[in-house]
Amino acid sequence: MTETPRHASDTPADAPDPGLHRAGFLVVTGKGGVGKSAVTATLGRTIARRGKRTLAIEVDPRENLHQLLGTPPSGGEILDAGDGLFVQHLKPRAVVDRVIEERVRLGAVVRKVQSSPVYQHFVDGCPGLKELAVLEHARRLLTERRFDTVILDAPATGHGVSLLRAPQVVAEAVGEGPFGRIAREIAELVADPGRCGVVIVTQAEEMPVQEARELAAMLDEQLDRRPDLLVVNGLYPPMPREDDGAAAHSPDAPDASDALFDLWRRRRAINRRELERLADSWPGEMVGLPLLPISRGPALVAALGACWLSDPQRALGSVGRRPRAQGGVL
Amino acid sequence: MSASPRGALLSGESPLVVVVGAGGVGKTTLAAALGLRSARRGRDTLVMTFDPSLRLKDALGVTDEARDREVPVAVPVGETAGAGDDGGRAGTLEASLLDPRRTFDRLVERYAPDEAARRRILENRFYRHLAGTLSGVLEYMAVERLFEVSREGRYQQIVLDTPPTRQALDFLEAPARIVGFLESGALKLALRDWFDDEGHLKAATGWKFLDRKIEHLLDRVIGLEFLREMLEFFQAFGPLYDGFRERASEVEELLKSRRTRFVLVAGPGEERIPDTLFFARRLQDAGYSLGPIVVNRVHPSFPDQEDPSDQDDQNQRFTGGEPAGPVCTPDGRTLFAWLGAQDHRGLEQLRGLVHAEQPVVGLPLQAEEPTDLEALDALGSELLRRLEGETVLVDAARHPR
Repeated sequence: MTETPRHASDTPADAPDPGLHRAGFLVVTGKGGVGKSAVTATLGRTIARRGKRTLAIEVDPRENLHQLLGTPPSGGEILDAGDGLFVQHLKPRAVVDRVIEERVRLGAVVRKVQSSPVYQHFVDGCPGLKELAVLEHARRLLTERRFDTVILDAPATGHGVSLLRAPQVVAEAVGEGPFGRIAREIAELVADPGRCGVVIVTQAEEMPVQEARELAAMLDEQLDRRPDLLVVNGLYPPMPREDDGAAAHSPDAPDASDALFDLWRRRRAINRRELERLADSWPGEMVGLPLLPISRGPALVAALGACWLSDPQRALGSVGRRPRAQGGVL
Repeated sequence: MSASPRGALLSGESPLVVVVGAGGVGKTTLAAALGLRSARRGRDTLVMTFDPSLRLKDALGVTDEARDREVPVAVPVGETAGAGDDGGRAGTLEASLLDPRRTFDRLVERYAPDEAARRRILENRFYRHLAGTLSGVLEYMAVERLFEVSREGRYQQIVLDTPPTRQALDFLEAPARIVGFLESGALKLALRDWFDDEGHLKAATGWKFLDRKIEHLLDRVIGLEFLREMLEFFQAFGPLYDGFRERASEVEELLKSRRTRFVLVAGPGEERIPDTLFFARRLQDAGYSLGPIVVNRVHPSFPDQEDPSDQDDQNQRFTGGEPAGPVCTPDGRTLFAWLGAQDHRGLEQLRGLVHAEQPVVGLPLQAEEPTDLEALDALGSELLRRLEGETVLVDAARHPR
């Protein structure tokens, strides 16, 4: 490694994610349980290390990011996680209130309206409103130049695309009017690959891969855009004698009857099969991250960051493709 | 008062089993496996799922046809052809895929008083764009279908999979939320005549100043046009409300029945424990009957494995930003030893944190996901063996009915 890069484009450090550092706003999507928060934390650290003032936002009933970044729970505040990285945990309801307060300056009446049950039901029931408020919050932080990069760990909903689609749906449904204008502004941001990057996190297993493919297809159909990066998390390590050349450092041959090796071999085979399935439909950039014997916390984030930067193909074994900057049609 | 978690799972004691848990923990597969076991034990069974993998759909042999109606699954018979596990007849197995939007449309068609009302709802912009994602409505619609099926009484056993969401309790709370919404002032307000003949917002408070402020606020936040569409939707929907409210209450009753058993499926590892506990407590606090907690995909411990703690300590010390090749390709034996130890530690910790009577069973990580009915059946047998190994059959005195 060379010394800390001043300009990411001059160094190998930016090889894993060309384009990502251009977009000020990154949305990390994926189903629950695939390691979305760990990837968000790793991406945040990696980008912040390049000298970008970065905020990682989490929207989830329970806080996760602080544990990975070694900060106390944010409780809604923006906390300094060190090295140019900040973290914030958002409760969508509070964000809706704040956005309405900020965009609709009506003072005391606002509070009166906000405390009424009708308003509460409206906020709970109005589809897309919470998603819209969270996106608007991120957009404002960027326009006010408080951060160079904002990374949103999207809530693990049925499909991550619903968050990204919310502005468009609301804009279409609401039509004219100020609410519709806000929605359209955000819809434009989300649709612009130069300003908003979409990262899909998945695992090389059947359901997560199926969902990642569906998500990519929906992005294409409904937002006319592609994800910028696919992160395949939690890969089992290559077998000692796997035909990908990894045997060199493991001289001892596994005993085929060994239950451990059998499980390892078959889980690894699933990883390889699903990676191939991904590679078939995904011409863009793909980063593989290994399953590591490290507890969830800053050490894991540091190790994942190192694996990401050292060689994005390493964890993929022989299956991964060299990254291409331009993606084709899925 | 809820039932003991130790009752037999697939029996007349709990004709409805609801499989809950965070997304990605294998709920759907386990629900299908339980359904299959139930049928093979001689009970006519329905498995209702949301979003099965292609592999699982293939294994069950169901197509999109199952979105509109229950479709039969060919249950593999035991050694004695046509016989269930107990030597009796094998039960039938049917599967359905829950599609909330279609259920919603069907409901509108059924309850709308006339053709004009039906069309007013279905063609309303608010309904077309937004009602499908209305908070709680999607979840509610799934429960609605469950209610229809359970009332028909065609099945001795229903296994219900729940939507893949972090907040799966949203699904269970949907009926109560809908009832709450219907009974709140919000609806009465929506049903009022809001706009005068000229399309202006009518007086809301009688204070001109405040009324103007409110109209201004509404217009600035959402736009009056949108508000009008939304109110029209609620007004068009008005005639449906009574039937809705009644059914929502009955659905809630069904879910909270002592005879409805919840199986909580969780992921392995210590880091998942807070989520699992949160889930379990909320289920119990809300008055649902929590059955066993199944910790799925536990990495097995292998005999003669070295103690992984040294390696762990070494990795814990690794915090630098320098690339470290060996860190990225851990030795498989070390990794599996570490994962096995971590997952078992998690299982033990969870057992220590729940009530002593609460069964917590670990289900080992399978080498492959089930690709056919035989594999699914084997998984179901494994799960039931572990569940029933821990289950004390409760005598009838403690469980009347």
